[in-house]
Amino acid sequence: MSCYSFIKILTVVLVCIVFSSKIHATVSEVESDLVFQLDDPHIQIGSNFFGEELLIFGAFSSSDLSKSDIIIKVRGASKSISVREKVKKYGIWVNSDDTIIDNVPSYYAIYSNRNIQRITAKNFLEENQIGLEHLRFVSNEKNQNSNIYKEIIKKNKEEGIFMEKYTGVRIVGDKLFRASIQLPKDINEGSYEVTIYFFDDQKLVDRDTSKVFVNKTLAGKYIYTQAKERPLLYGIICVVIAWIAGLSVAGLSRAR
Amino acid sequence: MYIYLPIAEVSVNLIVLFGMGGAVGILSGMFGVGGGFLMTPLLIFYGIPPIVAVATEANQIVASSISGVVAHWRRRAVDFKMGTVLLIGGIIGSFVGIELFSLLKNVGQIDLMISLAYVLLLGSIGSLIFIEGIRAIINKRNDKMTHTRKRKERTWAHTLPFRIRFKKSGLYISVIPPIAIGIFVGILASIMGVGGGFVMVPAMIYLLRMPTNIVIGTSLYQIIFVTSLVTILHAYQNQTVDVMLAIILMSGGVVGAQIGAFLGHKLKAEQLRFLLGVLILAVCAKMLIELVAEPQNIYVIADVLL
Repeated sequence: MSCYSFIKILTVVLVCIVFSSKIHATVSEVESDLVFQLDDPHIQIGSNFFGEELLIFGAFSSSDLSKSDIIIKVRGASKSISVREKVKKYGIWVNSDDTIIDNVPSYYAIYSNRNIQRITAKNFLEENQIGLEHLRFVSNEKNQNSNIYKEIIKKNKEEGIFMEKYTGVRIVGDKLFRASIQLPKDINEGSYEVTIYFFDDQKLVDRDTSKVFVNKTLAGKYIYTQAKERPLLYGIICVVIAWIAGLSVAGLSRAR
Repeated sequence: MYIYLPIAEVSVNLIVLFGMGGAVGILSGMFGVGGGFLMTPLLIFYGIPPIVAVATEANQIVASSISGVVAHWRRRAVDFKMGTVLLIGGIIGSFVGIELFSLLKNVGQIDLMISLAYVLLLGSIGSLIFIEGIRAIINKRNDKMTHTRKRKERTWAHTLPFRIRFKKSGLYISVIPPIAIGIFVGILASIMGVGGGFVMVPAMIYLLRMPTNIVIGTSLYQIIFVTSLVTILHAYQNQTVDVMLAIILMSGGVVGAQIGAFLGHKLKAEQLRFLLGVLILAVCAKMLIELVAEPQNIYVIADVLL
C-alpha cells in the first residue's frame, strides 16, 4: 500500500514537471493559460470502498501571483429528491406529504485557495452556481420554504456529499496548484464534472472542464444490476443461497 | 473493515454486522427463538434502510429455519399436514402483506409502519415473557407446579366447519383457525421481516391444542416456505433484498447459534426468559423513543427513484 502511494506521488511529481515545462512553452505564446490534469479519471468502487481522494493538479501562468486565484468545482449528476416534513400527530412523529426537489447534485464540492466571496463578484458565483448557497434547486411548489433547501444542504454536508474547502487548493511555487478532493464512501456511480476557474485580480481569465467517471465494480455493481434488471431471478437466487446455507449448517451439526 | 452493501447502498463495518448476526444467533440458540424480531430493529438502528432490513432479514430467516427444522424432522416432530395448512394461510398473508408494504412505501409511511408494528409486537411479547419469567422465578421459590393446562379441552377451533383430521397432532379440527393464523403470520413476515414463530407457537398450543413437542418443528416448516416466498416477493416488487448483507448475517448467525446452544445449557431457564424479556423491552423502548421524541431532523430526505 505504501509502495503504491509512493508510486502515485512519484507519478504526480513527474507529470507536474512535464506539465510545467509544457506550460513554459505555451506561456511564451499565450499570455495567460490554465492546464490541469486528473490523476485518475476513472474511479472504481469495489465492495470494500470507503472513500477516495481525487487528485487534481495543474499549472497556470500569471503576472502577479498574489492576485491569482483558483476555484475548483466538482459536480455529480443532478437528481430529484423527495422531502417530507415530520409532523406530530397523536403523540408520534409522522411524515407529511412529500415535496419533490429537482436539480440537486448527487455530489458537489468547491475547493479554492481562499474564501470564494473574496475571489470574485457575487453575481459570477451565482451565475455559475459556485458555492453551496448559490446552488439552484427546483421545487414543484411555487413558494418553496427555503428551510427545506438549507436542510438539504445541511444533510448532504454532514454526509460529505456537499463540501466547501476554502483552503483546499494549494498553490505551489509560482505556477502550480494542487488539490485533493475527497469523495465520500457512499458516492453514486456516474460521471462527475470538474471545472477549474482561474482568476486574476478578481476577473475570470480562463476555465477548463473535464470529466471523472465513477464506476461500481466487482460484486457490488453486478449484484445491483441483477437485483434491478432480473428481480425475480435475483430473489430466487437469494432464497437458494439461504437454503444451501441452512442445509449445510444442519449437515455440519449432524456430522459432529 | 468496511464493505459496501450494493442494495442498501451504504458502507458498513463488516465486523459490527457479523457481531450483530452472532449476538442474535447466540440469543436464538439460547432461547430457541428465530431472532428476526431483534435483528431487524438492530439493523435499522445501525443505519440500514428499514425496507432493506425487513426484506433481507426474511432471507436470513430462511437459512436459520432450515438448519433448525432438520433436527425436528429427524425426531419426526413435524406435522407436515398441519404445517401445509398453516402454509396456505401464510402464502395468502404474504401476498396481502407485500401489497400493503408497497402501498405504504408509495405514500411514504412504511418506515413509520414498521416502527409502530415493532413497538406493538415487542411491547406485548416482551411484557408477556417478562411477566412469565418473574412468575416462574417466584413459583420456583414457592415450589409450586405451574402447568395445569388441559389439552383435550375443546376451544372454538373445534366447532367451526371444514374439519379435517391431523393424525400427527391427534386433532380433528376446522382448517379455518390454522389458515387464519397462517395469514396473520404471513403478513407479519412481509411487513416486519420476522418468521412469526413467537406468535404461531403460542397460537398452536393454546388455540389449536397441538402437542407441545411437535409445535416448534411444524412452525419452522411453515416459516421456511413463507420467508422464502416473502424474500422472492420483496426482491421482485421492491428490490430491497441485499444478498451481501444476508450472507454476512447468515454466517454470523451460524457461529452465534452454536455458542448460544452451549450457553443455554449452562444457564437456568427462568433466568434466561427473564433476560430475554428485558432485552426485548429495551429494544421496544428505543424504538418508541424514536417515534415520540422530537426528531433530530425534521425533514426526511430521500432520493426519488425513477
